[in-house]
Amino acid sequence: MRGAPIEVLERVPLFSGLNKRELQKVARLFKKRHFSKGATVVKEGSGGAAFFVIESGEATVFIGGKQHTTLKPGEYFGEIALIDEGTRMATITASSDLFCYGLTYWDFHPFVEKNGVIGWKLLQRMAKLLRETRREAHELEGALAILRR
Amino acid sequence: MKQVVPLEKARDSAIFGSKAVGLGQAIRDGLPVPPGVALSGSIVEAVAAGEQRAINEVSKWVKPLSGPLAVRSSAVDEDGADASFAGQHLTLLNVPSSKELSSALSEIWWSANSDSAITYRKRVGLFTRPSVGVVVQTLISPDSAGVMFTRNPVSGADERVIEASWGLGEAVVAGIVIPDHYRVDRSGQVLERTPGVKNVAIRSLLNGGTIEEKVVPELVERLCLEDDQLHELNRLASRCEHVYGLGRDIEWALAGGTLYLLQCRAITVAGQ
Repeated sequence: MRGAPIEVLERVPLFSGLNKRELQKVARLFKKRHFSKGATVVKEGSGGAAFFVIESGEATVFIGGKQHTTLKPGEYFGEIALIDEGTRMATITASSDLFCYGLTYWDFHPFVEKNGVIGWKLLQRMAKLLRETRREAHELEGALAILRR
Repeated sequence: MKQVVPLEKARDSAIFGSKAVGLGQAIRDGLPVPPGVALSGSIVEAVAAGEQRAINEVSKWVKPLSGPLAVRSSAVDEDGADASFAGQHLTLLNVPSSKELSSALSEIWWSANSDSAITYRKRVGLFTRPSVGVVVQTLISPDSAGVMFTRNPVSGADERVIEASWGLGEAVVAGIVIPDHYRVDRSGQVLERTPGVKNVAIRSLLNGGTIEEKVVPELVERLCLEDDQLHELNRLASRCEHVYGLGRDIEWALAGGTLYLLQCRAITVAGQ
């Protein structure tokens, strides 16, 4: 089968502003990828050009060498690399046999350039996610200030 | 444009990658290369994307190849990227049949898009879409295998330097064993035979993949090449130099008394 099932992508916040037809177009860009248990999927500080959604299996997230969280089917990682060409912000390893759908920068970039409406919706979604992250950071800073008193 | 061709018809490195074209040239010049086919970068990507037409096309070409397969990446030319991408792009040995080939091709395609490959591409200023052709060949199950330099890569002396071990040559290439070390002059006279410590041999598994097998104690330090085999390697070195020019880095394998050429490229000197 070509691409990823759209039910999997519907759960990804970055794509939540897209309608079904738009999502189908994006889904066709994905390719399936398998990682064996124990494999390093992405590495903190390294370059990256792919975003992954987990189809089955689990992955562990490490930030600065410390275990952070576990990712399960339907969860995703690496979306920032699709846009900013920057380095990975966490290390992720496959804690079981892991099957993902991956979307590369090389497929995503020209697609967004050609599909302005989808690009605009993704931009809006990114801005919303950024705003949410800022609000969370602000709340954490507030909580930290209270603890320090 | 043909997306899959018999190896001997691979001529365009922008389509099939330099490894495929190099092996194609070797076959055209009568060198003993195992039979195989060359897959273009775009058909490899189409298989990785799950496109059924591409999967069927590859399957049709690969079916006639007998036995398990060696599936090797062949980076499509980007400023001589094939040599520089050595180690970044995957090679999968002992893919049991054409049935398992699709997932092997997908793994190879993803290896060119892995974080380590992308980090490397950024470092050398090649942050562009990778294209990776593939060579699919009948897998040789060698008694011994290794590498040969047609000129001494350290001293520059006009002599063949051969490193050999039991089983598949990956044990030598990956530095898993201390291989036997030989030096042979152009006339075929053996100048040095130093046995290595070959504790393990990489062998093919029945259901696919490879295994590091323990070598029986009496073979660990026994030389794995006889003089007549060294002479044959020396002749192969001369033929490769005749076809490609001086200073070649060769991967070879000996199976059932037949010598095979697996790869031939220019010697690269550290620091260049």
